Amino acid sequence: MSVILKAHNIEKYYGNRNNLTKALDGISFDVDSGEYVGIMGASGSGKTTLLNCISTIDTVTSGQILIGGTDITSMGEKALSKFRRESLGFVFQDFNLLDTLTAFENIALALTIMKTPPRKIAARVNDVAAVLGIADVLSKYPYQMSGGQRQRVASARAIVTDPSLILADEPTGALDSKSARMLLESFQRLVAERGATILMVTHDAFSASYCGRILFIRDGRLFHQISRGRDSRKQFFDKIMEVVSLLGGDGSDVA
Amino acid sequence: MMSLNIALQNVKKSFKDYTIYFLTLTFGVCIFYIFNSIESQQAIMELTSSQSLALSTLSRMMDVVSAFISCILAFLIIYANGFLIKRRKKEFGIYMTLGMGKGRISRILICETVLVGILSLVTGLVLGIFLSQGMAIVTAGLIGANIKGFSFVFSPSAANDAIAYFGLTFIIVLAFNVITIRRQRLINLIYADRKNEHFKPPRLKLSICVFIAALILIISAYRTITRPGLFPTGPVISIAACLGVVGTFLFFFSLSGFFLKLLQQSKNVYLTRLNMFVLRQLNSKINTAYVSITFVCLMLFVAICTLSSGIGLTSAIKADMGKSAPYSATFTVAAQTDGADDSAQRYDGLDIAAALAADGIDINSFAREYLEARYYASDAKFMLNLHAGMPADMPIEYIKLSDYNRLLEMQGLPPITLEAEEFAVNCGMTGNLPRLVKESIGLNSALTLNGAALRTGPDLFMDNALETSPNGVYAIIFVVNDALLEGIPAARDTLHINYIADSGEYERLCVSSLKKLDLAAYLPGYSSARFSSGTETRTDVLEKTSEATTAIAYLAVYLGMIFLIASATVLAITQLSETSDNVRRYGLLRKLGADDRMIGGALFSQILIYFGAPLALALVHSAVGIGVAARLAGTLGEMSIIGSSVFTAGVIVLIYGGYFLSTYWGSKNIINKEYIQQRG
Repeated sequence: MSVILKAHNIEKYYGNRNNLTKALDGISFDVDSGEYVGIMGASGSGKTTLLNCISTIDTVTSGQILIGGTDITSMGEKALSKFRRESLGFVFQDFNLLDTLTAFENIALALTIMKTPPRKIAARVNDVAAVLGIADVLSKYPYQMSGGQRQRVASARAIVTDPSLILADEPTGALDSKSARMLLESFQRLVAERGATILMVTHDAFSASYCGRILFIRDGRLFHQISRGRDSRKQFFDKIMEVVSLLGGDGSDVA
Repeated sequence: MMSLNIALQNVKKSFKDYTIYFLTLTFGVCIFYIFNSIESQQAIMELTSSQSLALSTLSRMMDVVSAFISCILAFLIIYANGFLIKRRKKEFGIYMTLGMGKGRISRILICETVLVGILSLVTGLVLGIFLSQGMAIVTAGLIGANIKGFSFVFSPSAANDAIAYFGLTFIIVLAFNVITIRRQRLINLIYADRKNEHFKPPRLKLSICVFIAALILIISAYRTITRPGLFPTGPVISIAACLGVVGTFLFFFSLSGFFLKLLQQSKNVYLTRLNMFVLRQLNSKINTAYVSITFVCLMLFVAICTLSSGIGLTSAIKADMGKSAPYSATFTVAAQTDGADDSAQRYDGLDIAAALAADGIDINSFAREYLEARYYASDAKFMLNLHAGMPADMPIEYIKLSDYNRLLEMQGLPPITLEAEEFAVNCGMTGNLPRLVKESIGLNSALTLNGAALRTGPDLFMDNALETSPNGVYAIIFVVNDALLEGIPAARDTLHINYIADSGEYERLCVSSLKKLDLAAYLPGYSSARFSSGTETRTDVLEKTSEATTAIAYLAVYLGMIFLIASATVLAITQLSETSDNVRRYGLLRKLGADDRMIGGALFSQILIYFGAPLALALVHSAVGIGVAARLAGTLGEMSIIGSSVFTAGVIVLIYGGYFLSTYWGSKNIINKEYIQQRG
């Protein structure tokens, strides 16, 4: 399996010499093609900053990020736009769908921005909609859909361009548990059936238990990582909870 | 003091937000000053007494118009201010969570408004004072005055007016702001930027029906007012205006939905780049925007019509000026004849030259050449086909063929010949009347004079000016053979004079000499109320014409510019506020990988459509409207559409185009600022 993402010693500092905040403090890791990787950490641990840096929305202070062999830290604005539309897919906590567009149009937008020939668009949209189980809501507007459907439409938008890497930022954060489970199962199917690579930030152990590997971040450093291996999801969930309690965030505050 | 400091910081910080507000105010004050400083501009001109009277009449007229204009500007300022307040609600919310009272926030806001107000008032005045220097030269050109020499002119009264009117507007704005703040609840302020967007799905089928209805209404409005043969009168104009306004409303209500549906049929267009986004964006806002766009369209229509027909009319009147003054001066003696039986009350004409000689007045002391011509009274009327099927009676006068030919000869024109019982029709007025008279000649074939049945024909129509007069009293003159006028009572005698040389000296001499003539002595038995006399000189006629043209030109440019600025400002403000509402959407497009060019392009086409659509419809409306105006004003002067259209187009490109570009740059800036903030 080839390495799709290679983060090498990345640092992100805020402030000035007298008052320095190290949001990311020398993080390195690799993600292979077809992997489903979760990033966990408490609020303020730097996980969202990490995702923003990888997604080229934010810039690193030092270090390299290679996606598909290209160093994105030294790219110009134009190349970044091209890179974003061709190699990355985004899923956000609050869906970020355009409420004026139908589901179909929201998904198609990612393709039109890529300048995909118009006649090929419908087939590709219908294709991903079938995988994500949203074929029947394509003509609806976001306000006519449930939260889960909206998030699956957003996911469809992220994968319809066949990006080398899908970045999801707390995708289940605004969903009820049933919708969250359906979305996470869709993600699993995307990895299994379409060979997608997903990097998901979450602070919820249940969501993380769907991943194949979890990176734990604390105070801007890579604190620990665990792989699911052959474990059942329940076993993996328990392992995650153990690490979370060690992390000193979320559930372990009382300890 | 603290409030003032915060206010100062705020103005500095949100200077970009204030730009449109500031521009509107500055333009408003500047134009207001320029047009109100007319009276002072005469300081640099050499004016005759009638010219300076004209200027002060014009200046009084401007005072009245300015009151109306200041209402429009006040509305604009309040509108722009509302936009600013809306953008800053969250900031006020933060002040309140920090424990600042509403009174304190109001004070800060008052300081800000006053600061920006004073700044723009001063800038506008300074700009106005400088530009009015140029305006003085234009004014001098319009009324035909000479420039004495350049000196810097300042009009305290115009400045005072500007300060007073805008001061009043500011007080209204202040009151408005204080009330707005007082009525706000903290929760609404804090979440102002996250207000629920009430998105309504477009009803596209309805849009198509409404769009077709709108087109039908607009076209029937055009047809109503341009129906051939029908002279547009008050009720017709009102019906057409109603149809047009309702049609325009429906047009903008349905336009975006119609095009959305239309372009959705073409996948190649709809699914290319950000087209889909742009169309949906336009469509989603149309529920709220169509009202303001309709007003913008109607304001543009008014602006274009006033600018081009005002200027067109001015140049038409000027072009015709020579025509109404063929001689240096014309002296007229007119008297009434009541009944033909009463010989004492019958006017049989007066030999003016002989009378002058008898009074010891030497015509040759000022005249190089002179000529007498007599007009004869008639009860006959000329049928003029003014409205289709509704002929109007026009009074006529007769003139002898020999007199007529001599009048032509004095102007260097060839004489005409007539058969024994033929008559020619002469109408020498400016404008459309001669054409109408020519077309109506067929209606007047059966006239009798002294027992003879008169004949005429279209080939016997002339449009020569016969006297120097600002408005031809008797527009229609029948030229007949001398013998036919035997025994017909006279109506008036005219003496046409060309001066020895074109100078004020001969003119003064001429006018004063003719005044000395004691007419009563030569018209025994006439009470002085029954006859009149007067001298019209070419100089007077030309000056009166330029008075009229100057007034029209000033009003047209003043009103046109204000309406243009008003409409552009409304558009700019709606667009800027829309962009700032949509920052998140553009941020999303960027995350999806749309580059600067694509986003800029989407923004550009949106703003272009917002600015272009009302302008396009207004231009079509105006083409029809100006055509109608030309017909209505036809009796005043034939308008030259092309020259004035070029001028109008120039003004639109400059003002409207300027607003368009600043709106585009401003919107781009709003989006980029947000992005740069995000990128850290």
